[in-house]
Amino acid sequence: MIVLAFEAAIGDFELAPKLEVPSGITVLFGPSGSGKTLTLEAVAGLLRPDSGQILAGDTPFFDSSMNLHVPPYERRIGYLVQEHALFPHLTVGDNVAYGVPDLPRDARKERTRQLLGSLGIGELVDRRPVEISGGQAQRVALARALAREPEVLLLDEPFAALDAATAGTLRRELRRLTQELNLTVLLVTHDLNEACQVGDRIAVMDSGRVLQVDAREEVARRPHSARVAALLGYSNVLRGKITNVNKGGQVQTSIGLLSVSELLELEGTQVDLAIRADRIVLGRGSSFFEDRSNVFEVKLVEESDLGVSRILHVRVCGTDTSRMGHVEIQMADDRYKQLDVNGRRDWYMHIPSEAIHVMAL
Amino acid sequence: MSKAPSNGRPSVSWLQVAVALLGALAVGVVLVPVGFLIARAVIQADIGAALSSPFVLKSIQLSLITSSVAVVVLIVIGTPAAFALARWSFPGRGLVDAIIDLPIVLPPVVGGLALLVALGRRGPLGEPLTAVGINVAFTTVAVVVAQIFVALPFYMRAAKAGFTSVDQRLEAISSTLGARPWRTFTRVTVPLALPSIVGGVVMAWARAMGEFGATIMFAGNVSGRTQTMPLAILEAMEADVDASIAIAVVLIAVSFAVLISFRVVARLGARSG
Repeated sequence: MIVLAFEAAIGDFELAPKLEVPSGITVLFGPSGSGKTLTLEAVAGLLRPDSGQILAGDTPFFDSSMNLHVPPYERRIGYLVQEHALFPHLTVGDNVAYGVPDLPRDARKERTRQLLGSLGIGELVDRRPVEISGGQAQRVALARALAREPEVLLLDEPFAALDAATAGTLRRELRRLTQELNLTVLLVTHDLNEACQVGDRIAVMDSGRVLQVDAREEVARRPHSARVAALLGYSNVLRGKITNVNKGGQVQTSIGLLSVSELLELEGTQVDLAIRADRIVLGRGSSFFEDRSNVFEVKLVEESDLGVSRILHVRVCGTDTSRMGHVEIQMADDRYKQLDVNGRRDWYMHIPSEAIHVMAL
Repeated sequence: MSKAPSNGRPSVSWLQVAVALLGALAVGVVLVPVGFLIARAVIQADIGAALSSPFVLKSIQLSLITSSVAVVVLIVIGTPAAFALARWSFPGRGLVDAIIDLPIVLPPVVGGLALLVALGRRGPLGEPLTAVGINVAFTTVAVVVAQIFVALPFYMRAAKAGFTSVDQRLEAISSTLGARPWRTFTRVTVPLALPSIVGGVVMAWARAMGEFGATIMFAGNVSGRTQTMPLAILEAMEADVDASIAIAVVLIAVSFAVLISFRVVARLGARSG
């Protein structure tokens, strides 16, 4: 368990993350420049915050009230970066053994052999870093970090420089190793897919702060704010006002009145709605839908082909031509062909009430 | 735009011809005099006899010893400073950088004169040293000091470039792997900077071997004590041109060996880096 709550000013940038990292994989997710890497460096001891605390279990790594800053070499952590991570002048085996110079020679060799073996690269032990591929190099770097038997692994975009297939394999291996070794992993990424594939928990970071931390499904389904929803790929975030509370509650938005499945309480309160683009259904007439709530007549204004799916931009009829009345819909390619959307402009859309998530301002 | 060649033959432009001619001239400026010197040494001078004369042998011995000592001292005093210049930011860093380069632009005779003014028997530093029985000027120590003076920029430049080229993320990784700063320095920083450092050692050594002006001003020209090979060449000229040619050829051989080893080291470094 890592607990961190600190502040650091780096030039104009203010870093002030608060986060608890239990065992398992916690993904620190956010856009470039949100302060993810700096947060990781602070936990590793490479960056000294101005104030606050960083704890690893019961051990304080940093505590400004005690003027304590444990240097990186006394923190028991494994730290991995995107690339150029291996010592170029050492063999793969010597890289792995670098962190355990105090072990007897035989034990060191045995641990190196066993770690490289468990990552499927035992045969590379005598190679030089320039002679192996990027994916192999990241495995070696992982083995090197694990050789010291750290309880905490800090990974900074570890798979970003790899091709998709290699990255996928390594993500699965990371999940396996995390379980086997009962590790606490903090992984930084700006890749939403990676965050969802590898993380048990996701911490969403923006402008130096942690906006939300929750289990992966919880963050994905219930973002706390419009900003988190936008970062998590919700293309439709609408501002609205709660109304008709006595009749179950609806929200008045720029595209019209929307029924939601979540409980609404205070009449007149402003809220943000996040609607997943892939949950919205399109049909040729209003009678197409069994559920007659949240059905709107729309005009197709733009479409793009993503290969396996299509993105359609529609404008709700009766709204002005500004973006306020626009909604993004994502549908699978076969559904698109089934509907024969191609070129047809006039449609009806249905937004299932369960697809709408209500967020306080 | 010029017309593209249409007949498939590689076309040689006037520009390429001009570059080739000027290049040949540049190489010739170095190669022709050295070539004639070596040719004359082989044809006329009795190198064997010259090499067996105590006068020549003493100068070779003195040159090898003083330049080696100078380089060792340079490594000891220059390496930490080169590291600091490469990594630390401190007020006056640019000035320190410029001062270190000074011996390159300063005529060596002027450097020797400066050393003499400071460390001569009447000099502000020389006088107290003389009082406690230490004479620097016109001794073998003065030869070494003069060589350090002129060779310092060559070593410092190279070592600084070496430290600058080391990826500091690797040092950060090393520290997260439990390595204390000294271990990181000796196991990561120095090995990665080593090709540059070795190159600097070689260049500094070659410069010290060839040093003339500062030495003759500050150390004088006493056979066996301060007469290095370049000084011996000058003295031999007065009596026996062939002897001075023989020493010159030995000096060329040593310098060339140094240059070749520099290239080899640089190439090995590039391969492992």
